[in-house]
Amino acid sequence: MLKSTVKIFLRAYSSLLFLDSVYVGAILVALTFLNYSVAISGIVAIISAMLFAHLVNVKDEYLLKGFYVYNSLLAGMGVGYLFTPTPLSLLFVMILSIFTFLLSFMFNRVMGAYGIPTLSLPFAVVTIFSYLASLKYSTLFSSLINKAMIFDIDMPLIISSLFKAFGTIFFLPNNIAGIVILLILLFHSRIMFLVSITGFYFGVTIHSLLIGSFAQALNDVYAFNYIITAIALCGVFLLPTFRNFIITLIAIIITVILSDAMSIFFNYYAITVFTIPFNLTVTSFIFMLYLVGYKGFNYYPLQTPEASLSNYLSNIYRFASNKIKISLPFSGTWNVYQGFDGTWTHKGAWKFAYDFVIKKDGKTFDNDGHYLEDYYCYGESILAPVNGYIVACKHDLLDNQIGTVDKVNNWGNYIIIKTDYGLFVEISHIMQYSITVNVGDYIQLNSIIAKCGNSGYSPQPHIHIQVQKFAVLGSQTLEFCFSEFIKDNKIIFNNLPLLNEDIKSMIINPAFAEKLSFALDEVYIYDVYKDNTLISKYKIVVKMNDFGEFYFEDEMKNKLYFHTSINQFYYYKYIGTKSYLKNMYQISPKIPLSTTKVTYGDYLSDDLVQSNYKKLFAQILATINQNFYMKKYNYILDNNMIKSNFGIAEFDLYKKGFKEITFNNITLRIQIEK
Amino acid sequence: MKNYEKPSINKVDFAMASKYGSPLKSQKIRKEIDGVSVHELTQKYGSPVFVFSQRKIEEAYHKLHDAFSSRYTNVQFGWSYKTNYLNGICQIFHNLGSCAEVVSEFEYQKARNLGIEGKDIIFNGPYKPYKHLKIAAQEGAKIHIDHLFELNDLEKIAVELDMTIPVAIRINMDTGIYPQWSRFGFNYENGDAYSAVKRLIDGGKLKLTGIHAHIGTFMLDANAYKLATQKIMYLKASVEADFGCDIDYIDLGGGFASKSYLKGIYQSPEVVVPTVDDYANAITSAIYENNKSEKLPLLIMETGRHLIDEAGFLLTSVAGYKRFPDGKKGYIMDAGVNLLYTSTWYNFVIELDKHYEGLNEPSMLNGPLCMNIDIIEENISLPSLDRGSVLTISPVGAYNNTQAMQFIRYRPATVLIDKDSNVHILKEADNLDAVNYGEKLPSYLLD
Repeated sequence: MLKSTVKIFLRAYSSLLFLDSVYVGAILVALTFLNYSVAISGIVAIISAMLFAHLVNVKDEYLLKGFYVYNSLLAGMGVGYLFTPTPLSLLFVMILSIFTFLLSFMFNRVMGAYGIPTLSLPFAVVTIFSYLASLKYSTLFSSLINKAMIFDIDMPLIISSLFKAFGTIFFLPNNIAGIVILLILLFHSRIMFLVSITGFYFGVTIHSLLIGSFAQALNDVYAFNYIITAIALCGVFLLPTFRNFIITLIAIIITVILSDAMSIFFNYYAITVFTIPFNLTVTSFIFMLYLVGYKGFNYYPLQTPEASLSNYLSNIYRFASNKIKISLPFSGTWNVYQGFDGTWTHKGAWKFAYDFVIKKDGKTFDNDGHYLEDYYCYGESILAPVNGYIVACKHDLLDNQIGTVDKVNNWGNYIIIKTDYGLFVEISHIMQYSITVNVGDYIQLNSIIAKCGNSGYSPQPHIHIQVQKFAVLGSQTLEFCFSEFIKDNKIIFNNLPLLNEDIKSMIINPAFAEKLSFALDEVYIYDVYKDNTLISKYKIVVKMNDFGEFYFEDEMKNKLYFHTSINQFYYYKYIGTKSYLKNMYQISPKIPLSTTKVTYGDYLSDDLVQSNYKKLFAQILATINQNFYMKKYNYILDNNMIKSNFGIAEFDLYKKGFKEITFNNITLRIQIEK
Repeated sequence: MKNYEKPSINKVDFAMASKYGSPLKSQKIRKEIDGVSVHELTQKYGSPVFVFSQRKIEEAYHKLHDAFSSRYTNVQFGWSYKTNYLNGICQIFHNLGSCAEVVSEFEYQKARNLGIEGKDIIFNGPYKPYKHLKIAAQEGAKIHIDHLFELNDLEKIAVELDMTIPVAIRINMDTGIYPQWSRFGFNYENGDAYSAVKRLIDGGKLKLTGIHAHIGTFMLDANAYKLATQKIMYLKASVEADFGCDIDYIDLGGGFASKSYLKGIYQSPEVVVPTVDDYANAITSAIYENNKSEKLPLLIMETGRHLIDEAGFLLTSVAGYKRFPDGKKGYIMDAGVNLLYTSTWYNFVIELDKHYEGLNEPSMLNGPLCMNIDIIEENISLPSLDRGSVLTISPVGAYNNTQAMQFIRYRPATVLIDKDSNVHILKEADNLDAVNYGEKLPSYLLD
């Protein structure tokens, strides 16, 4: 209880910097005492918001997320900045804080429906009201505008304006406050640090060009809006890429103009603009970018922009999470007869489809190909390309003799499968009466569902496959890719084979999948050999976190997250310092659940491979060129073994898990059970 | 100039597709096999001639092996010698990774002669003479026990050799298939199989390491394999639990159909014959579903016909023709049932060496034997062929060669076309010496 209260309290402070850390929160609380009025009002505000939340039984989970309380904190600090704390002013703070809390909740629910964050809008609205109201309450308050700082240091304007702008985020226009905040940013995220500074000076430069005075632009009290706009866009809501940096700069110019425009209007009523320019600008950008599905949007924001970018890049490079993926609908080697936007029938709304045939010596048939039986693929099994339910099928159409086509029933005999992801996969030209599944059946990837035939508009036996948005036959097709296919003994992931290319499908080997199905609380103890001398033991345990993610944990609490999908086992996250688990990630980042001898590539982010300081550069480079960051490494899967430049991981023919892991001069050997 | 032929009246078929196929393109033509002209083959090696395509053998092997090995990690193929034991053919399979599956001491010797070690030979069959059983046991062959007498023999051998002999037992079961092959091995349903294992364990001289079943031949229902595998896995689990056996391998035998036209089945084999995926999926999924032990067993497959049938062709030439009283045209070919043992069950694919002008007419292909039953194809729609026309009969790779009779005529040569279209002789045509080999003419008959 106390622990979570302290957490909520401290997180509110750190979330003003878009960070989520109790330590940062603690530093910031201490920092606010540079102006004890701001500090006390802030603390009172946040406590009253929390007490109110308690009073109306708001669950801690809501508060822990931080964004319901930080607006109250801001509102409190805002009042503290204006008035010296007295019992009456503190009461004022309490009431405003509660109102801010209510508004936060309301805005969050309303705006959340469109995926827009509340940012500091509740604070801005409430503070405007409070400033307006306080004009009438002047008798209640002893002194206006309390700017007294305990102490400060002198610095040249060009740099002091930067620090003060940073401090202003916490109502502390103070060099020391600015320096501390910048150091916090630098420690947490180099990207945030850089974009906030560039954002500031860019905004100031634009502003100075417009108003004709650089000094005046530097002194502008609303210049901190550029900083938070820069961090919010280029560090939190969008991915830190060069393109998004340009977008951020555009947003900053808008912020400059908005600040000036509003200040004229607001100053008339003796209120300040606060964060309204920032709120308006950022909200308008996010609103549109989110709804149009902008590719550079940070859909899964993590702790820092670095982490978000790394996660995003590995999702794209390693798992093509932005694409629809299906497996090949056959086993063995087939040839691409027609691809997307094909020469014959894959056109218009139906352009995203693939046709496959079997070719030998450049021919799809034996002899003259006058008979259906001459065609190599005629009668071959069609395999389920996905897990899913059969939602429709037709099986009674005749297979056309060669030289004739069925122009009425274009699709011929077909099967439509509803995938686990809610899309529909359609397979056409199936052999008459060969469908072995029924509508309503749930089928597993690779299960046999029919035979390849020549029904419908099909000049020669082939398999036609497409992904559709709807279950209706002939509905519009969607772009997809094949999650894996083998070409020249190399697995190509999440890609499309070219026209006339011979490709082989990868069949999932259940025995291999079984070897990599790690269950909760399983313990694996390895003997560690260095140059063949036993040096220690290494114990890893299978664990699961609150989100249902599985990971290996060693005794130093390093965590290696893994997942087994229907066709591969892979690691996707590592939290910890240098450890054998990290080596394991490098040695077998991805394991196709297949026993075919193949090579394959996988991308590892540079921070996984590089040492600590190199990693910092890698992260910054990633914002400019992603290929610098995600590097491709080659792996060979052969006979229960995965080999690469990083080392070798070996499996037992019969037992679960890794039998032996070798890298550099280290060998981890599983302990034989007694 | 065309030879005069007596006119005859035939019904013209206008249907788009009949059981003879489409009338528009009604001639099946094969001018060459793997790039070698059929005429060149008959000219060089005589007619008739058996022709095997190494490329087709390897394609079939890889396709089936991939179907199994992609779904199951531990798979071993055993080449069923009886299907075709020409040394060259066996060697191709051994090179591909097959071990040998033999059903007699003669086949055993043939495998040993090819350099196959005892441990890589599976010794099956209902009759294994004591002397040869002992050699096999000594050489470490995988012996599959068919009946209790054999079990007794093996125990005796174990004492003689002072060793524990690892063995497997063959079982039979009901998989819903008719006819049920119940004459080999011990029955599963009536408990004979379990009792045999108990007897074997009680004897203490043999060690059970495998279970074998072979449910039939030309199996058109892949599901039968699923049932068979299930029952093997049940037995495996119960004997492992009850007697502490450690069953290393299960052997599902063979019986996979090839793309042959079974007599009495109207549809084409592409429609009725299960695919390799069907068979592989049925067997491997049943292993996974019923495995109760910590490790998965080695899976042995003894597929014969499926791997070789479509790789074998018989080239035969028209020696003459005549018009039968019913108007049918009868061709006299130089190959007949003496070489086509499987013609009893299958309709072959008959292909012409070129396109012939003229309409198709009901015809009959007869062999060269002076026997009324020597019919290759009783009803076939063919254009008017010439004397010397070469027909390709397929698929004939399985059993025909091993069962070809030296009856009335010499057995023909057998050749192999390698992947670079070079032709190699696998077996010379018989001659008088070959036929007379071993014959003794009692001298008193000459007096």
